[in-house]
Amino acid sequence: MEELIYAALALPLLVGALSMIIAENSAIKVLNISGSLLTGGILLCITGKVVVSGVFASSFMYVDALSALLLLVVAFLSITATLFSASYMDNELARGRVKLSALKRYYALLQLFIFTMIGVLVVENLGLMWVGVETTTLASTLLVAFYFNRSALEAAWKYVMVCNVGILFALLGTIMLYYTQVGVAGTETAALSWTALRAISTQLDPMLVKLAFVFILIGYGTKAGIAPMHTWLPDAYSQAPAPVSGLLSGALLSCVLYVLIRNLVIIQAALTTSFVNYALLAFGIFSVAIAIPFILIQHDIKRLLAYSSVEHVGIVTFGLGIGTHLAAYGVVLHILNHAVVKSVLFYLVGIIGQQYGSKQLSRIRGMFAVLPGIGAMFILAMLAIVGTPPLSIFMSKFTIVLAAFEAGWPVLGSLLLLLLAGVFAGMMFYSTRMVFGTAPRRFVRTSIGKSAIMAVSCSMLWIIITGVYLPPWLQQLLEQAALLVARRG
Amino acid sequence: MQVLAILLLFSAFLLTRASRLASAVHILLAQSAMVAAACAVESGGSMHMLIAAVLTVLIKVGLIPKALLRVVSQLKREREVDPIMGPNASSLAAAAAIVMTYAVIDRTLPGGLSWDAVAASLALVFIGLMLIITRRQAIMQIVGLITIENGLYLLGLSTTHGLPMIIELGIFFDVLVAVSVLVILTNRLKKSFQSTDTSILKKLKG
Repeated sequence: MEELIYAALALPLLVGALSMIIAENSAIKVLNISGSLLTGGILLCITGKVVVSGVFASSFMYVDALSALLLLVVAFLSITATLFSASYMDNELARGRVKLSALKRYYALLQLFIFTMIGVLVVENLGLMWVGVETTTLASTLLVAFYFNRSALEAAWKYVMVCNVGILFALLGTIMLYYTQVGVAGTETAALSWTALRAISTQLDPMLVKLAFVFILIGYGTKAGIAPMHTWLPDAYSQAPAPVSGLLSGALLSCVLYVLIRNLVIIQAALTTSFVNYALLAFGIFSVAIAIPFILIQHDIKRLLAYSSVEHVGIVTFGLGIGTHLAAYGVVLHILNHAVVKSVLFYLVGIIGQQYGSKQLSRIRGMFAVLPGIGAMFILAMLAIVGTPPLSIFMSKFTIVLAAFEAGWPVLGSLLLLLLAGVFAGMMFYSTRMVFGTAPRRFVRTSIGKSAIMAVSCSMLWIIITGVYLPPWLQQLLEQAALLVARRG
Repeated sequence: MQVLAILLLFSAFLLTRASRLASAVHILLAQSAMVAAACAVESGGSMHMLIAAVLTVLIKVGLIPKALLRVVSQLKREREVDPIMGPNASSLAAAAAIVMTYAVIDRTLPGGLSWDAVAASLALVFIGLMLIITRRQAIMQIVGLITIENGLYLLGLSTTHGLPMIIELGIFFDVLVAVSVLVILTNRLKKSFQSTDTSILKKLKG
């Protein structure tokens, strides 16, 4: 098992380094796709082993059902993102928007980014998780700035500044947690180790843990895009190349939520009051609410999807705030579903953007007439993201709302439903306008590329199938993960 | 330790008054040197702390200021001309922050700690944050970021005798990479906008 984890960590680094050396586009593509497939395969093996034989723990590594689920997300998304990148970047090369030297840099950073996300998920220590999350920011900043034009620079600057400050707050919270741990267990014993902290969590000083919670929520909340710390998010998602937007929104966001959950498990056990729950519920509802005006009045398709990410982080935070077992199940299912659906939406929008030569909502019309296949997948994915039954996200949203009613929060549950109706209206308004209507007269269809089609259809299949059928092993993994997330007692 | 804490507070205070980029970086250099000295003083001969002190000197006194000064030397015409909060108001806010941190830690933290170091570290965090929010120059914001980092490092040092070695190594690495990324972006800002005043970055909205 340990060898598998080391292999999964080493492989992206190796592929990234090799991408810098190779001088030919087609060779780089083959290398990266096979590298990602192999990394994904190893990650799947790790997940499988956890399903079969339970938790794996060594001095630095720790993989349980929750990390295994997230590793599954990263595996799936890194494969689709690399596949999609191959065609996407071919088109960009053909248009002269990027040069070959920039392409090498792109793949090297992409693999580095994947490495950092895997790193966050396999380490056992809260301090090392912090280091990992910070590294994901640094690896992805240059990907956000990839085009190095004015708007990309603006987005990258905001991204790195806001997230760095936020993440330093999380470090402050982590130091406080360590201080409380030292107060109970003394120095030099398994410092900031998650399992050690969990074992003594009920003895930690509640006053300091509460303070630590505030900083940790603000810190990781900034990175996850919880409102009102989400200001960098629409800029970064809209300016990054489409495959990177998909990874940022699908994989990175889930990884940060994972780290937040790991911290919350300790914090909730240490506190006897419901302070944590109230805070999470409030931030969750606020994130959904703040996204609505920006979804209803929007000019840019990628920003529309970015605000939808803020909304979905809000739903997950809300679910964490309820904290019951049912809500926890909804949360882990929602993280998985959102990652797949949102990444495929960003890929589709990448294709659409290249075909229409614009990200402006007003310019994209009549997809059914000119790009029927892409249009159909796009509307289906949009229906999925707003939570239409029987597609996958409906189940997780429904579970979270149901949990709210069951846990005695009927007013908040209804409020969430009302807000979700608002999101539905905005998203559907723009997507029907894009798909139906008359296409621009001067539209020229260019080739899309096989690997992009493959990436997109894999994800679409996943969305359609998991809506009605979850394989038993996945079901088991989700239930075990939910047990870890739920508040004990 | 107390002397160092007071010197650190003084350096943070000076930062609020700096308007030339090079002087801000020099103050930052002195500040990091003081953090390294504090680390060495607190170490009491423990290997882990001495290594941390040496790394602080190498990275935060050596590499980072050098990289920043190299960028600054290319930005001859740039200076902090019209910050959102002027130097007088900033100094006043910094003073208020220092008083406030003393008041807060007196109430919340149990005894057995070096108060001045904790207060100084929280004040550094606050002043760094203030620099990021109120200064327009990219370099000034980077200086603010490292000031926050220094503050947190000092906090870890004074409350728990530093974080475990491997985490600290990770943080040092992150700081180094963060500054490299920020320096790359600053250079690109200079190329694309002919300026490193970040207040021009307001095109993306809605």
